[in-house]
Amino acid sequence: MLPDELKNKLRKMIAGAESPREKAIDVMFEIQELQGWMSDEAMVEAAELLGMTPLQLEELATFYDYIYRSPVGKYVIKVCDSTVCWLEGHQRVVDYICSRLGIPLGGTTADGLFTLLPVCCIGYCDRAPAMVINKRVFGELTTEKIDRVLAQLAQTADFSGWE
Amino acid sequence: MPRLIIDEREIEVPEGTKVIDAAERLGIVIPRFCYHEALGSVGACRMCAVKFVQGPFKGVQMSCMVDARDGMVVSTTDEEVVGFRKRVIELLMKNHPLDCPVCDEGGQCLLQDETVSGGHGLRRFPGPKRTYRDQYLGPYIKHEMNRCIHCYRCSRFYQEFCGYYDLGPMQIGDRLYFGRFSDGALESPFSGNLVDICPTGVYTDKTARFKLRRWDLQRAPSLCNLCSLGCNTVANGHYRGVMRIEARFSSEVNGYFLCDAGRFGFSYANGAEGARARPLSPAIAGAPASASAALDRAREALNDIAAKFGPGAIAVAGSGRNSLETQSMLDLVCKKRGWSGPVLFPTPSVRRKTLEAVKGLDSRIAVSMGDIEKSDFVIIAGADPLNEAPMSALALRQAARNGAPVVTIDSRPVALPCGFDHFPAAPRDIERYLAALVVKAVESEAAGFGKDAEAFYRHLKEVHENFEPPLGLARLCELLRESKRPVILCGTDAIPESTPAFVSGCARLLGLAGKKAGLFYLLPGAGSFGAAQLCGTEDKTFFEILEDIEQGLVRALVVAECDPFHDYPDRARLESALSKLELLVAIDYFDSQAVGCASIFYPASTIFETRSTYINQEGRVQVAERVHCGGAPIRGGNHPPRIYSGLVPGGDHLPAWKALGQIAGLIGADEASAQTFLPPALCPGEGKRVPMAKAGFPETPGFAGGSDGKAALNGDLFDLLTVEWMFGTSEFSVWSDSLDAAVSPPLMSINSKDAARIGLCDGDRVSVELEAGAFEIAVSVSDKTAEGVLVVPRHKELEWRKMKDFSVSVAADKVRKIGAK
Amino acid sequence: MPVYPQVLFKNRKPDRVATLDEYRESGGYEAVEKFIGGGIAHKEVIRLVGESGLLGRGGAGFPTGMKWAAVPDSSPFPRYLVANCDEMEPGTFKDRVLLHVDPHCVIEGMILAGYSFSASKAFFFVRPSYESGALILERELENARRAGFLGNRILGTDFCFDIVVHRSGGRYICGEASALLNAIMGKRPNPVKPPPYPTEKGLWEKPTVVNNVETLANIPHILRNGPQWFKTLSATPHGTGTKIYGISGKVSRPGAVELPIGTRLSEIIEQHCGGMAPGSKFKACLPGGASTRFLTGEHYDIPMDFEDLKKIGNRLGTAAIMVFDQNTCLVGATLNLLEFFARESCGWCTPCREGLPYMRELLRRIENGEGKEEYIPNLRLLCKEVWNSYCALAPGAAEPVVSLLDFFEDEVRQHISEKGCPFHAKADH
Repeated sequence: MLPDELKNKLRKMIAGAESPREKAIDVMFEIQELQGWMSDEAMVEAAELLGMTPLQLEELATFYDYIYRSPVGKYVIKVCDSTVCWLEGHQRVVDYICSRLGIPLGGTTADGLFTLLPVCCIGYCDRAPAMVINKRVFGELTTEKIDRVLAQLAQTADFSGWE
Repeated sequence: MPRLIIDEREIEVPEGTKVIDAAERLGIVIPRFCYHEALGSVGACRMCAVKFVQGPFKGVQMSCMVDARDGMVVSTTDEEVVGFRKRVIELLMKNHPLDCPVCDEGGQCLLQDETVSGGHGLRRFPGPKRTYRDQYLGPYIKHEMNRCIHCYRCSRFYQEFCGYYDLGPMQIGDRLYFGRFSDGALESPFSGNLVDICPTGVYTDKTARFKLRRWDLQRAPSLCNLCSLGCNTVANGHYRGVMRIEARFSSEVNGYFLCDAGRFGFSYANGAEGARARPLSPAIAGAPASASAALDRAREALNDIAAKFGPGAIAVAGSGRNSLETQSMLDLVCKKRGWSGPVLFPTPSVRRKTLEAVKGLDSRIAVSMGDIEKSDFVIIAGADPLNEAPMSALALRQAARNGAPVVTIDSRPVALPCGFDHFPAAPRDIERYLAALVVKAVESEAAGFGKDAEAFYRHLKEVHENFEPPLGLARLCELLRESKRPVILCGTDAIPESTPAFVSGCARLLGLAGKKAGLFYLLPGAGSFGAAQLCGTEDKTFFEILEDIEQGLVRALVVAECDPFHDYPDRARLESALSKLELLVAIDYFDSQAVGCASIFYPASTIFETRSTYINQEGRVQVAERVHCGGAPIRGGNHPPRIYSGLVPGGDHLPAWKALGQIAGLIGADEASAQTFLPPALCPGEGKRVPMAKAGFPETPGFAGGSDGKAALNGDLFDLLTVEWMFGTSEFSVWSDSLDAAVSPPLMSINSKDAARIGLCDGDRVSVELEAGAFEIAVSVSDKTAEGVLVVPRHKELEWRKMKDFSVSVAADKVRKIGAK
Repeated sequence: MPVYPQVLFKNRKPDRVATLDEYRESGGYEAVEKFIGGGIAHKEVIRLVGESGLLGRGGAGFPTGMKWAAVPDSSPFPRYLVANCDEMEPGTFKDRVLLHVDPHCVIEGMILAGYSFSASKAFFFVRPSYESGALILERELENARRAGFLGNRILGTDFCFDIVVHRSGGRYICGEASALLNAIMGKRPNPVKPPPYPTEKGLWEKPTVVNNVETLANIPHILRNGPQWFKTLSATPHGTGTKIYGISGKVSRPGAVELPIGTRLSEIIEQHCGGMAPGSKFKACLPGGASTRFLTGEHYDIPMDFEDLKKIGNRLGTAAIMVFDQNTCLVGATLNLLEFFARESCGWCTPCREGLPYMRELLRRIENGEGKEEYIPNLRLLCKEVWNSYCALAPGAAEPVVSLLDFFEDEVRQHISEKGCPFHAKADH
């Protein structure tokens, strides 16, 4: 069950749109902000708020890259694997994060903190290799930088201090 | 009109014709997957590529996406496009599982055909195949996603064409998946069409799964006789059983599609083991008898009755299930032998409504479902299309998709697969709402109406003046006034007797106001139009025959494809009257209760086993061809039954008309054709409408609600109405176990205000107490149900026949709550 | 290093977003005040932009003035503007930089564009990884509203116009205008072929114009300084305006630079990006994002504008220049591009949905040493055939493959004959 507070917020958001469906992605993002991913139950409730059938919302949820229909960690690390990052060694970044977190690509750490996924070009080619964690981007990755980011997130659950 | 050249042949086609259709007119069928005439062009599969050699476009284009234009020169055989189409096939076959040997689509698979004709034979793609998980889609459709070629036909049909939103495309790229949010039965009552529309075997008919191959089937053009629309089908017989029903294209009637009740409601036709087996053996006093013995015995017994009490002591009855042949024979035996009848309707009210409807229709305003799709305003008066004639709801949706406003005026909480304005109106108020709509729409033209029309129009105005139209009606009046091709769809069930004629008058007025107005009735059964043609206004109904039996005037009853236990609304009276009979002869293909009490029974052949003619509710004469000879089906790979005789096991049945004719001594055993006695006026040729007399305005447009213009609403009294449901009420629902899975338990609809007043909540169980006893039912509360009415389905699980009539009054205190949700 | 006039990047600050005040000090919102506040006919805006010769900066290079003029006078209201900041073409990041440099330049451009065809609402469609840009924009929109440039009765006139940020769920195809409109409406973002064109029936069947962010950012400057001035900005006689080039890959200083359109590739790399990266030699580049052809050393001096690239069968696209050096395996690079396109295909039509994974599989096998000679003609044919796709995604995907086979066939064959990638030992990827 979605909390009433969130539901009210979502209702308000939907009411301000040209048509309810326009807010489908925003609604799912808000729910993910709170719960990390879109569970079946959340899908059903969100669809109802949006005046859609669960299938209609699923058509969208499964289309997009940033909507998760399986449980993910609190932080979803997406390492860019498109051309320039590939050129600048994205595989090293992936390998390093895998070994540091002890998970394969696509895996989630046992503490539920991190999920590692690939992502296509995130538009930070000038700062390759780059990754995005919960919509925050980190570029010019080195092992040291990765260490610092992961350590800070693990300890303080805080993005502050980064770009 | 554009002229173009396709493969060196010239053709002129109407403006807006796609090149793919223009080619088809020349007999050139360009390969396609996503394109379907009913669904239109979307250019997804890229299979219909052709080369434009000259004209406004050059090069390779999709023939489904390009309108034919003057001066186009098109090649479908150009090397480049042939190569490209071959590549498309290769791409589609890249992931196809090649499970054709065990696929039910095998032999009628478009993908298979295009693969072979496109010349793709060798796999050169070196990668692995993609696989999917399938979903459970309910009792009728099997899902097999690995076969999918992603043409989007299924989701476009399901969502765009039908208006249901629980099946659609998910995922992206080559992971694209068509299915539901989660496992579960498909919600659309048109889901069976997925089987026909899928170009490969993603959706196959579960009821026929692994039972047959296309080339082993006996196929024949047939008709659906589950409702009055007469949808065209192809019936598939195999080993004396009906295996599968497919839709058959008819531009005027059902288009390309069928409803699930019509598609899956055939299992009654298959004699089988089990409780609802179709009786295949003639019987005398309940004991199996030979065909000739049963017919002889019936003839002798009836002769005895006629000799003792006169021929009028024998009554014959048919029903809305009868073919025109059977109805004509019923008519003939009464005329020739002096028997009473034929009885073709259960009650005088049903007879009058049906007759008035048929009388109200004429060739100037009768429309088909194809016409409804093209209409620009639809009024539904006293009908529930989805439940009474499901395919008409699909036609309404197409009208709505083309921009037509749809208005329903009915006591039921009508649901339609399209947007519509619903005005909940008790039966007696339906005419008022209609008057309010029509008066405003035609008033500016009223000066030029003729004498009869003016009288009718004045009457409408009177009613309208005393009636305060509800919110929202004014806007619709305006839209109706602007419309050019309005259609009124009128039921004949939960309405007053005056309504069919009244609606006909309204349609005529719209016509006089310069519109191409249409009228479309729903009738009680597949044979109702024919019955109305043969029946006079004074002819007896079952109601009067029961009186005659009670008074000893009728001593013997012959029922042909008629089960009064199902059709007649007063069970107690029926049972008591039938017990007084000296002889009951039943001819039927259902193992009905009447068959159970009959002294003599003769099995009738089904629509699949005999050529039969039906006239649908718009007066169109259609023929169902014989599919197979029928008999005891062979099942499960068994050997044919080892009965050493020249007869087909279980083959002792005859068309009802033949059995009836023989029993009456009118025809011999070798009579082959019904043509000799069919009324010529009713045989205008297959697919044509019967000639209709010019209909006039109703002479006495007596409004059902009385002249005070106020609804006779009495807070203490409800109108208890019985209605049809798509599943669970028809005789076919009773006898086809294939439909069981779709039947939901009966519910009584009640308006929210009424429910609050008598203390009922949605889901409560109530006992409705009637003179003849009580029935129990769960309650469904809705704003969409009219105030002052209670609506129950004539459901096979509900003892509604305690009501004694199809609609009765019931006091509010007789509706007692006996349990909560 | 030659210094050129900075128009879009005029207010560029190291590590900081230009404020509304800074934007106004540099002449910002003067065009809004002059044209909207001054009540100049909206047709005049279209005329001036048309005259400037501004071509859309999103990749297709369609004349902006013509697009606006395509909204029929008689068409219904409300009308919508969409700023396309999906920018998901690999190698492309210019709009992101622009947003972080001078967001008001984009906002003012949107207001003027909206004015030109009487739109009342605009959507700023932005991809998820540009969330920081979206937040900047939302903040600055509020500032613009407070200053009276947005909202009801702008500058006291009858013109009402507002902008909302619409966040995408993240897919490349959303950058395609018709797919983008579906995305905003909450439908599956499959492209839809015209007619009707969005300018007639777009969002909710109402007239809608979709413009790229950089295109919009040019508008205030064109209107303030005039079309003639805009034409003088280019390095070539046929080009107009400046262009933000986004350079990435094997150069010393990757980044976004604003230069006269038509600046030579050699100059861009050597003068504005610090030359090739240490130890790197130019082997090839993709001149305009992932769906353009490899450009070889032969054209190292080419003027980087629409016309000149077209002449050699290539495209300026988004002017995202991805530079590859002598150690880059171009089979690997092309495979990587195909991974992208195959993954991002929306799945609507067969050649794209099935054809791109087919090409990817062949390239993967070649790269992994399992290639066969017959893959080469098959790939060539596929490249041709995917042009019969529904939209431009698959034809774009075929571009690097075609040029790989045209210019680096030997490298491909070497993979096949040596049963492996010849760069594998040398390169670190």
